[in-house]
Amino acid sequence: MIYFKLFLEFFHIGLFSFGGGYATLPFLYHIADVQKWYTTKELTDMIAVSSITPGPVGVNVATFAGFKTAGILGSLIATTSVILPSFIIVIIISKILEQFKHNKYVRSVIYTLKPAGCGLLAAVGVDMFINNINIPGMILLAGLFFASLTEKRDPLFYLAVSALVGLIAGFFNLTG
Amino acid sequence: MEKTLYQIFKTFFKVGILLLGGGYVILPLLQAELVEKRNWIDDNELCEYYALGQSVPGIIATNTAIFVGYKLKKTAGAIAATIGITLPAFISIIIIAKVIQEIIQLEFVQSIFWGVGIGVLILIFLAIKEMWKKSIVDKFTCAIFFLVFTLSACFKAPPAALIILSIFIGIWIEYQKKIEHGENEE
Repeated sequence: MIYFKLFLEFFHIGLFSFGGGYATLPFLYHIADVQKWYTTKELTDMIAVSSITPGPVGVNVATFAGFKTAGILGSLIATTSVILPSFIIVIIISKILEQFKHNKYVRSVIYTLKPAGCGLLAAVGVDMFINNINIPGMILLAGLFFASLTEKRDPLFYLAVSALVGLIAGFFNLTG
Repeated sequence: MEKTLYQIFKTFFKVGILLLGGGYVILPLLQAELVEKRNWIDDNELCEYYALGQSVPGIIATNTAIFVGYKLKKTAGAIAATIGITLPAFISIIIIAKVIQEIIQLEFVQSIFWGVGIGVLILIFLAIKEMWKKSIVDKFTCAIFFLVFTLSACFKAPPAALIILSIFIGIWIEYQKKIEHGENEE
């Protein structure tokens, strides 16, 4: 039964997440709250791993959450069902591409969905910030923030720097 | 280069391996592989598929892959592209997930995770900034942003409910415009 539930939850993520891989995070946090398949702390670790492994973060984190919930079969179901809605939708849209692009209702809905997806992610960002930050973390975050202002950098740059800083901070027991 | 299903799979598999730290780097990767190396589509088409990939629900990287795959070889091409871009992520997580549960107990690994967690925060912040630039274009979109943000952050409203709410707002706006427009014409 867990497999069917897993399918439903991840299908629903694929259907409603809007604005890229990180847009799946609000839904994954919601699952942690409601279904209790994993804790929010575990999810934060999963996101960290997903960011440094190959592939789209959304796929990584779905695979991971599925694995955590119900092993390899769980990850297969989670990954397939998170992609299935967009697969169906994209195929349909490809067939009626011209109508889709010029339909006024479609445009209007995309116009309102984009800020909504952004708002959801911002809420997760604030939540993660409040739950994970301490003073040394704040300093690291401020440093990364200023680094991001000076020029556009590869995401791996931030992850590599923060992993290194984490390792060093660990030696001085600053990671809390 | 020939557009066989295997070639499509291989191309997206390669892109899937090179995708690190978020789907936002997919555009230059696809440009190099699909446009420059293989000449399967041109720059304009790629940008259009990428934009469309953001206009449908789901993960942008896979959405773009499905669009391009379909364009190259219909549904079979879309399946090949989807499996190609997903497989590296799937395999690497399966391999790592087992190991990680053991090593995460180690203290120095915990420290690294602590650091990477902060790094992820900045990536999320950058993602929000990027989305903000593309989505908040006037007072109205700004209002939707804060409405959804508040309902989600303060009231823990289910994300799907908020998405459905904004779909209805979108339809309602267009409907209102139509009514006004209709009245003006008469």
